[in-house]
Amino acid sequence: MRAYILRRLAQSVLVVWAVTTIMFFMFRVMPADPTAILLERGLTDEARQALLERWGLTGSLWDQYIAYLGNLLQGDFGASFFYRKPVWEVLFPLIVNTLWIAVPGLLLGAAIGAAIGTAVGWARRGGKLERSGIFLATVIRGVPNFVIGIALLTVFSSTLGWFPGFGMGDPGETTGFARYLTLDFLHHLTLPLVAVIIYFLPENLLLMRSGVVENRTEDYIELVRAKGVPQRRVAWHAARNSMLPLITWLFPALAETIAGIVVIEIVFSWPGVGRELVLAVTRQDYPLAQAAFFLLAVMIVLANLAADLVYGKLDPRVVYK
Amino acid sequence: MSLAELNARLAAKPAAELRVDGLSVTYNTARGPFHAVEDVGFTVPAGTNLGLVGESGCGKSTVVKALMGLLPEGTGLTGRALLDGDDILGLTDDALRDVRWNRIALITQSAMNSLDPVYSIGDQIVEAIRAHEPVGRATAWARAEEMFALVGLPAARLTEFPHMFSGGMRQRAVIAMALALNAGMLLADEPTTALDPIMQSQIMARIRGIHAHMRRSMVLVTHDIAVVAETCETTVVMYAGKVVESGPTGQVLGRPLHPYTMGLQNAFPRLPVRGAPRQPLISIPGVVPNLASPPPGCRFAGRCPFAADLCRTTPPPVAAAGPQQAACHFTDRAEEFRAAAALPETWRKMRAAA
Ligand SMILES: Nc1ncnc2c1ncn2[C@@H]1O[C@H](COP(=O)(O)OP(=O)(O)OP(=O)(O)O)[C@@H](O)[C@H]1O
Ligand code: SF4
Ligand SMILES: [Mg+2]
Repeated sequence: MRAYILRRLAQSVLVVWAVTTIMFFMFRVMPADPTAILLERGLTDEARQALLERWGLTGSLWDQYIAYLGNLLQGDFGASFFYRKPVWEVLFPLIVNTLWIAVPGLLLGAAIGAAIGTAVGWARRGGKLERSGIFLATVIRGVPNFVIGIALLTVFSSTLGWFPGFGMGDPGETTGFARYLTLDFLHHLTLPLVAVIIYFLPENLLLMRSGVVENRTEDYIELVRAKGVPQRRVAWHAARNSMLPLITWLFPALAETIAGIVVIEIVFSWPGVGRELVLAVTRQDYPLAQAAFFLLAVMIVLANLAADLVYGKLDPRVVYK
Repeated sequence: MSLAELNARLAAKPAAELRVDGLSVTYNTARGPFHAVEDVGFTVPAGTNLGLVGESGCGKSTVVKALMGLLPEGTGLTGRALLDGDDILGLTDDALRDVRWNRIALITQSAMNSLDPVYSIGDQIVEAIRAHEPVGRATAWARAEEMFALVGLPAARLTEFPHMFSGGMRQRAVIAMALALNAGMLLADEPTTALDPIMQSQIMARIRGIHAHMRRSMVLVTHDIAVVAETCETTVVMYAGKVVESGPTGQVLGRPLHPYTMGLQNAFPRLPVRGAPRQPLISIPGVVPNLASPPPGCRFAGRCPFAADLCRTTPPPVAAAGPQQAACHFTDRAEEFRAAAALPETWRKMRAAA
């Protein structure tokens, strides 16, 4: 088990290193000149040269790469061209903001999706619940998530005026973590969070349903029924076994989901990492963009590792080798 | 409730009586209705064993599933099954909640796959106990330990998961589970088919031992006539979804009235009689008719060495000789048939004709 985790961690480091390297060279070969934006601000040539040196943009590509990796290893992401601040200072609050919609959104989406999926999978084959459940889930899954976001905005913000449609609200006097506990924040959080849930729910629902449908005709379910336990318990056995494939899908799917969250952040002007990533790329702000990609890679790799470990907890047949 | 109280309570359950009458099951398949079981009836007196025998596909498991309420949705079901006087046929899952395992328990045919892979075996036995008796987990677990001891498994292995058990151990675990509530009626659907011959006889000996000890009633489904001869007071022979012969085991196997029973008997090694020449094994040539469109007359006519024109057009009536019954037009010639059926040529001729 320990050897297994160590080996997986080593693999993870390798993956993160590969992503980082690809990102590094990709940004370097992009046609636009990164210093253009610096020139626009009317810097003298000497000042520009000084800046380039400070940001490690002089020397051969190889030297730059080595310097970049060296800094990364020391936890130094460099400084944002655009904000002229260390990248970490820019990113940290944004990460927290993203986690606020991503983590509850994904967990609730998975939990609600799995619960409804179980009910739909356990319902009479070809019955009303099954057909409407599959229909709705398929339709929602087919709708691009910016459309879901805009629909939510139109209905609950513009028309009904129940929720604000923009940003995270004004922290006012409250600072630090306390701001996340204000009603104003929760008020702003609702719509983007609901958007993430709706975005994530249908796939979970459909996967869980097909798992339950498959499991309900298994021999072991027959024996559970024969034992005379309540119907809920029987359905639970089917659901519990259907979770295994769901978990293997769920964590790797987080990578895709991150793309979806970027869109939701943009639609709701939610100041998160995803939105900033897009802005950083359009602004040619390499250090910021690279750092954001680096963090995403780390998150995805950790998610995969977590998936393996959770799977092992849920399925007694798994042996870590 | 303590373990002692639980045990006393469960031990007080009487053996159950089962009367099945006019049971017909029609599966709803993509290719139309499939009459897997037709007009099956039998009685299991309290405290006795009934052996249900017949070739693969003749509907034995279908009868068992009908009794447990485990047929797929949309399956046609008629008839009655009176368990101590209450009709349990065609009830909903909710209505069966109290009947299943409490009054009628099941040892499944495919015990290999009958356990939930993600729960420990102990948890699965405890689940059955606690579904019916108001006991805590500890008491239920203690009862499960006793059941494990009864089937010859070490109690410490209750915490293990199904994949850690061998086939024989899983089969015994399923038996332990079936015994956990001391139901008055036990349905055992080929409890040993998946096992090797040595394990088979061990498990059967175990079932017989437990049965004699607990005095339950049992329906034992099997291909194996020798097992029936050793274990069951009553024998019911099924062919192509129908009962062709039934009655006290000694009579049905000793002096069969139906040609199919005679053939079936030839297909199994006789209990060796000292000094007598070994009987050759004779199998019944031909195949079971397709039940999607059953033949109009006797269903066995296509394979019966004694079939006459009448057999091919008219379904045979049920003829009774005391408690022994057979569905054949010519039960009055059984004596003559038995003599002929004992000869391999009789069946070999059928094969040549087929
Ligand atoms: N769910 C089902 N849908 C359609 N047909 C079925 C279904 N289950 C069983 N059958 C058919 O019904 C017939 C009887 O099957 P059953 O399982 O009762 O036979 P069996 O006597 O138990 O055979 P075996 O000795 O092989 O277990 C078979 O022809 C089988 O193909
Ligand atoms: S009715 Fe005819 S075909 Fe059927 S078993 Fe009797 S003799 Fe054979
Ligand atoms: Mg069967």
